[in-house]
Amino acid sequence: MEFKELLILMALSLLALLWVFPAYTVFMGSLKSLDDVIGSPSFTPPREVDLTTLFKVLNDMREPLVNTLIVTIPVALLATFVGSLTAYAVYRRFDRVSDITIVLIAVSTYIPYQVLLIPFINIIKGIERYLDLTLFDTLPGLALGLATYYTPMASLLMTIFITVIPKDYIESALVDGAGEFKIFRRVVLPLLGPGLVSTFIFILILSWNNFFIPLILTRGYDKHVALKIFSYVGQSGTLYNEMFAAALIGSIPPLVLFILLGRYFIRGLLALGTGGVR
Amino acid sequence: MELRYYISFILLTLIFTLLLYYGILWNLIVSFTNYSPLNPRIEIIGFKGFNDLILDEEFRGSLLRTLVWAAVLVILGNMLGITIASLIFQLESPRIRNLFTTVFMYPVALSMVVVAIAWRWLFDHVKGVNVILNQVGLPEVAWLQGGNAFWSLVLVSVWVYAGFIAMLYLAMFYNIDRTLIESAIVDGANTLQIMTRIVIPNSKQGFIVSTVFLTLFAIQMFDLPYSMLFYNPFTETIVVYIHKKFVAQYFYIASAAAIVVIAISAFLVIPYAMLGIKRWVLRR
Repeated sequence: MEFKELLILMALSLLALLWVFPAYTVFMGSLKSLDDVIGSPSFTPPREVDLTTLFKVLNDMREPLVNTLIVTIPVALLATFVGSLTAYAVYRRFDRVSDITIVLIAVSTYIPYQVLLIPFINIIKGIERYLDLTLFDTLPGLALGLATYYTPMASLLMTIFITVIPKDYIESALVDGAGEFKIFRRVVLPLLGPGLVSTFIFILILSWNNFFIPLILTRGYDKHVALKIFSYVGQSGTLYNEMFAAALIGSIPPLVLFILLGRYFIRGLLALGTGGVR
Repeated sequence: MELRYYISFILLTLIFTLLLYYGILWNLIVSFTNYSPLNPRIEIIGFKGFNDLILDEEFRGSLLRTLVWAAVLVILGNMLGITIASLIFQLESPRIRNLFTTVFMYPVALSMVVVAIAWRWLFDHVKGVNVILNQVGLPEVAWLQGGNAFWSLVLVSVWVYAGFIAMLYLAMFYNIDRTLIESAIVDGANTLQIMTRIVIPNSKQGFIVSTVFLTLFAIQMFDLPYSMLFYNPFTETIVVYIHKKFVAQYFYIASAAAIVVIAISAFLVIPYAMLGIKRWVLRR
């Protein structure tokens, strides 16, 4: 028994090396000086730790980092809240109408969003003309693009998470004469805690990492961190230390969230995958 | 819940969802017209868009590449996912289990651009893993040259998603009735027999879910090829093709190709979404 366990641990650790290696490479490479980069393979540790690249890139990335925070946190909050409203309505209604709603939402969530973005620009241009404001290449426009795609997804997630609440709770509140909004606020929202956190973390990480939506809806590289990281691929040529530093800095927020609150993120992934089996 | 309450609760989600459907409809309409910002007069061109599309060798190549990508990702992703899940399933300590789950899962929490940068350098001819291959006496591999680039990127996508697939299977494994496994142990079955005869066959649903997801991931593949190799003809997927045509303002072609992508995804997704509804309804 002991030997078997040891064998399994060894097999897993060997396999895990393949997963750790790229992260290790990025981390080590971002600590290298210019001389070191020119002469060494990408995955070796630095001859001596040189933090100048990291600080230089961090300074360069300040604006996109702040912009991404400004955009993604409200988007994730909005998507999660609106999603929980939808989930409650679907849960309470429970008939053909709510079934159709959920199928509509699910199908739109799983259709590749890239092909829907071209018409989205048209919508944005339409709103611009109608309301006389600028959305294309602005942070609100980017937020609108992300929210359009992630709100239905958050609704789907919350619809799955809400099923853990016993219907009796809601029914007894109804008997007590509470209205729908009051039940939602007083009974449902407090019980949805873990589901809300899962959805929020999930949408936050996805919108932080999204590349295509900012690529289409903005110009330049400063409105979203994924674009900024991408810009280093072109401009740094063979100087991998800068690319690695940008990749590392841009990955720290989602990675820290994933490691600290990973079980919430995983719950979000599993809910989308297994459709609320557990 | 009364309909007027229902609608006010779902209103915002409904608006966003309808925007997405508007996107589908827009593509459908534009694919039958010669719409373009450069074009003053919009005319209906019928199936010309789809006709041009089928005749375009680049489109056929990118569609084929996407389908092959999906097939290989489904096969390798499931194989590796089942292997990782089966190994983790044997571990007693929840702490070590969590550690390995985090290690195998973390790529899905990264931007594909980051993944592309890391692997671009590991695949580098001079500064990448070829250095290691050389040292242990193995021949060098031209990872990103010509057609090789496609297979290298497919492997990277397997690397990204295998941990996620393993988690889906693990969730299924833990759902299996423990008494089934215990009675098999009493009957003298070994670990391998328990996995291959009881646990894995009882996780068919994991296979369905993984296959749908991996296929969708492959159909949507854009960030990885674009941010590693830009418009490389050997790694051009269907979404990269659409993006390229869109940037070049060939809207009717881009839209016709978008309709093909939507049709393929809908073919997969609609039965899957219906299945989900059935499951929720049964639960209640």
